[in-house]
Amino acid sequence: MRERLLRQIKQPFTPFGIVLIFRHSNAEGIILKKLLKLFAILGVVASITSGCAVNRATGSVDPSADLSALKTMYVKRIPEETGGTNVLIADKLRSKGIVVTTGTEPPPSNVDAVVTYIDRWMWDITMYMLELTITIRDPKTDFPLATGNSFHTSLTRLSPQEMVNEVVDNIYKGSK
Amino acid sequence: MRRPVTRHKLFLAASALAVTLTGCSSPASREGMIPPDLAIGTYFPHSLGIQTGGGASTGAMDTSNISDEDLKAAIEEAVIQNKLFKSIVQGKGGDYELSVRLTTLSKPILGGTISVEMEMAWSLTKAADRSVVMRKSVKSSASKTMGDAFAFVTRLRLAVEAATRDNIGQGLKAIAELKL
Repeated sequence: MRERLLRQIKQPFTPFGIVLIFRHSNAEGIILKKLLKLFAILGVVASITSGCAVNRATGSVDPSADLSALKTMYVKRIPEETGGTNVLIADKLRSKGIVVTTGTEPPPSNVDAVVTYIDRWMWDITMYMLELTITIRDPKTDFPLATGNSFHTSLTRLSPQEMVNEVVDNIYKGSK
Repeated sequence: MRRPVTRHKLFLAASALAVTLTGCSSPASREGMIPPDLAIGTYFPHSLGIQTGGGASTGAMDTSNISDEDLKAAIEEAVIQNKLFKSIVQGKGGDYELSVRLTTLSKPILGGTISVEMEMAWSLTKAADRSVVMRKSVKSSASKTMGDAFAFVTRLRLAVEAATRDNIGQGLKAIAELKL
């Protein structure tokens, strides 16, 4: 039995051998223990540095669209949304000199563009806006003339106002 | 003797989990986004330039995204395979310019059966007079179950690729119906 155990210790990569290292070989067990600690530290560092802070901010405008020609817009509120994101978007667009109305009703026929949005929220100690997509559409065809998206996870979270500002600014940065 | 072993197992499990979570996300592949034979049967004797936008790279802990470069390559390959245009040109200089922008990509964070919804804005412009010959919002979706792939990140990538294939197929079929 003792000889069999010693043979297993000399073959530490077999599952039984690894168990034997913990139980019967103190020196090799210490090495393995250090290796495991190293793996654990690496895992935690990887999670902190790459995992917890995902940031993305994009904006694009269709080449055939001219955003400067859009003087009136209607921000279509998501009926079940109560966070006031539509108001933040409307205020931000007004700061760019656009006449903006907002509501849940069908858009007025005389607007140059309809603005839709999708906001995703997440909880981490408190609620925060994880992702915001804003799309400026042709009111007649629903074609997306311009789109912006921002995605920030908990550690680099932005306030809803900052998210709106970032998305709208990125859209207008991409315009001609 | 049993207690340290348990602790080591916990360390090992935590490390394996961290490595799995941070290292497994992969972007939608360009090969996976190319639609199969569309049986279009239309041929335009013109050259086409393609530009894409709205995509994003895939971070280590991010979920599958579509990069602009991979989307462009997939559309180019689909146009070539289906012989829709005479040739593809890079940059300006084509008879027609196709712009495809990813405007919405809704993905779940968790789940067994994964459903992805997508919207892309397709517009085709005639280079000679800058006239817009097509503007179309193309919506597509795809679902993948545990039977398609066990790992969540793989299942999500497959769903994103399937929705993109469908979207590219619809977009090219819409172009094929035009009189250019």
